[in-house]
Amino acid sequence: MPQRVKSTHADALFGALANPTRRDILDLLLSGAQTVQVIAERFDMARPSVSEHLKVLKDAGLVSEERQGRHRYYAIDPVPLYEVQTWLSPYERFWRDRMGDLGRTLDEMPED
Amino acid sequence: MGTDLTRIELDQFYPHPPAKVWRALTEPALMATWLMTAEDFAPRVGQRFTFRARPVAATGFSGTVACEVLEADEPKRLSYSWNDAGRDDPLGWLVTWELLPEGRGTRVLFTHSGFDPDSPTAQLSRTIMGSGWPRILTNLESALT
Repeated sequence: MPQRVKSTHADALFGALANPTRRDILDLLLSGAQTVQVIAERFDMARPSVSEHLKVLKDAGLVSEERQGRHRYYAIDPVPLYEVQTWLSPYERFWRDRMGDLGRTLDEMPED
Repeated sequence: MGTDLTRIELDQFYPHPPAKVWRALTEPALMATWLMTAEDFAPRVGQRFTFRARPVAATGFSGTVACEVLEADEPKRLSYSWNDAGRDDPLGWLVTWELLPEGRGTRVLFTHSGFDPDSPTAQLSRTIMGSGWPRILTNLESALT
């Protein structure tokens, strides 16, 4: 049984995404950068918990941090998400494409 | 995507009768137009055949899929095993086509099952796909264009 290399960038990425709260945070950040406070209020969570989730997301390269005046804003960084997308969905995409092509084949076949 | 984390399920309606869909699924000349080039295929239980595809270096895929027909119930149900011919350890994947008559057409239920439930990465990918992840990506794409 081949062993995978542990602690790769992909592991950090998947580890970060495996948590539903962190996916919710990413979803929220899609509509724009937010402060820890706004995120905490939105999910009814303590700010330290939010900070902890944000740290995991930052370490995975999914979220970047920017200071504006007194506030720190967290924004989504899409690049690793494209990595995940190309890594995760080839099978679904493959079969969806094939089923689309099957429809075209059927349309072009003469009736029995 | 269902809650079973070991399979992909797709559901597609075609405005063509099951007999015609069955031909497209089982005649090699037709299979080649929408799926892949199949060698030695026949819709007969126990028939071994191969699909030729392009090798994918990133995933270690050899380019040849080794299959065996496991069910062939014309024009209702076809299933075959699906393994990478270039690997010693079988993937153990199973592809199933189920044809249900619906009005003047056919509803095709497709299943690709057997994703290793003991592989954490594979399992995680199922989890992510099945829990709003595609929606996030769709939102992301529209946000970026």
